[in-house]
Amino acid sequence: MDAAVDAVILLDHTGHIQAINRAGEELFGWPAGELAGSNINVLMPEPDRSAHDAYLARYLRTRESHIIGMGRELKAQRRDGSVFPAHVSVGLVAGAEPPQFVGFIRDMTAHHEHIADVKEEARRSVDQLMHVSRMATMGEMAAGIAHELNQPLTAIANYARASERFLGRPEPELDDVREAVREIANEALRAGAIIRRLRQLVRGGDEAREITAVDSLIEELRLLTLADARMHDTAIRFDLHGDTPGVSVHATQITQALLNLIRNAVESAAAGNPPGAREVLVRSRRSVAGDCEIGVCDNGAGVSPEIRDRMFEPFLTTKKRGTGLGLPMSRTIAEAHGGSLRHEPCQPRGACFILTLPRAEAVA
Amino acid sequence: MKEKPAVVYIVDDDAGVRSSIRLLLRSVGIAATPLASAQEFLAQYDPAQPGCLVLDIRMPAMSGMELQQQLNLRGAIIPVIFITGHGDVPMAVEAMQHGAFDFLQKPFRDQDLIDRIQKALARDRDNRAALQKHDGIRASLASLTPREREVLELLTQGMQNKVMAAKLDLSQRTVEIHRAHVMEKMGANSVAQLVRMVLDTKEA
Repeated sequence: MDAAVDAVILLDHTGHIQAINRAGEELFGWPAGELAGSNINVLMPEPDRSAHDAYLARYLRTRESHIIGMGRELKAQRRDGSVFPAHVSVGLVAGAEPPQFVGFIRDMTAHHEHIADVKEEARRSVDQLMHVSRMATMGEMAAGIAHELNQPLTAIANYARASERFLGRPEPELDDVREAVREIANEALRAGAIIRRLRQLVRGGDEAREITAVDSLIEELRLLTLADARMHDTAIRFDLHGDTPGVSVHATQITQALLNLIRNAVESAAAGNPPGAREVLVRSRRSVAGDCEIGVCDNGAGVSPEIRDRMFEPFLTTKKRGTGLGLPMSRTIAEAHGGSLRHEPCQPRGACFILTLPRAEAVA
Repeated sequence: MKEKPAVVYIVDDDAGVRSSIRLLLRSVGIAATPLASAQEFLAQYDPAQPGCLVLDIRMPAMSGMELQQQLNLRGAIIPVIFITGHGDVPMAVEAMQHGAFDFLQKPFRDQDLIDRIQKALARDRDNRAALQKHDGIRASLASLTPREREVLELLTQGMQNKVMAAKLDLSQRTVEIHRAHVMEKMGANSVAQLVRMVLDTKEA
């Protein structure tokens, strides 16, 4: 018995310790020999400590066991009062009457810490993966974003040069200069807005869940997605109903899922149509069930039947430089928010992805 | 006939860019009409309006390249200066192959744009003057009688009146009268000038 690593305890039918191995005494922090004869309940925290005699009495009366023969995780208490998680399994000593019990107790502290570590590590990995995926998306959009920043810069340079010329005249046209200066300020703010939206996308993404209107998240994406669509000669139409219910979300994650879906749609529309005929529709509405539903549809070639069942699997991509993470990550995000992401073919052609998020009242 | 004043059309879907180009051109005394789309341009397009077109290569619905195609199909002569973004060079090359006047990458130096616009306007003036001259010659040619045409043809080959009279079975006096009519209708002072006119219309 002393060779065992786990605590081994022999109890009589009144719950008093008849024998305990050395590992058991050490586990509970008792000096050798002091536990023998004590009620087992000294090894338990409240409320079990006060209730244990009654549990035992009930067993003796009914012979219905709540622990015997099945292992359970319970709280155990050391001599110094500290509580730790313990795995307890109890067996009957064969042939003894009145019954005797033998208990095996294992300290689960390290196991719990390990699980917490693993969970934390997994959470960090998912966060990192999301970050990487977000960065990859941003990289794919870089050309469009550069173009979008070039627009206000071009305008600012033109306005400034025009002002210089107006002011250089013998009788300067101050009205024209005023117009130019006002527009320079507007264009600088526009460039700032693009950079702010970029920052929102690349920030850590560890903000808390907040009740948010999905339409405002889509509005935040409008500028960048239009820039990307322009590079693909694709027209994006936004059909936002404004009556969608508030949703409790991590804004960065939902934004990322939406960005993935819109970028996929733009690429599909561009790959499947000549310029001028490429269309993407982003719409939001309140579903029949009262939840928030966002549809991202394109008029591309649609999802081929061979990959329809597997498109949400990671690392499956049909793009030349895709990571294969966009759709699975978007679905993971949707499900982590209690929602869903599903695909529907579009009529007459193309694909539609529908992201559903439960309304905030339903979550709370 | 009085020339209409030239207009620079700025077709760009970006309001900031097109307004800023309009103001820039205004600062050097060039009148410009900003338009938000290729369709807007086509809707008010007048082949008789002299000017040039400053065209964004990337636009939703109808791109600059597509507008250029449309204009080419209509036989338009308006010079087109393309404004391109970074990385649009292959498109710009294609546009040049389809007869674009020039292209500029955003952001561009103001003077570069102004210089190119002035060159484009000069090119348009030359083209229109040449066309008008051709149109005038064609109209004059059309006013000739069949007999006068025959005389013109032989004249430009350098044939003497006497030889011509024999060839056409006319009196030398009649040939001289036809010849005087041809010179008058064509507005030519010499046979050399007549030859030049006929060659011009054949080249055009």
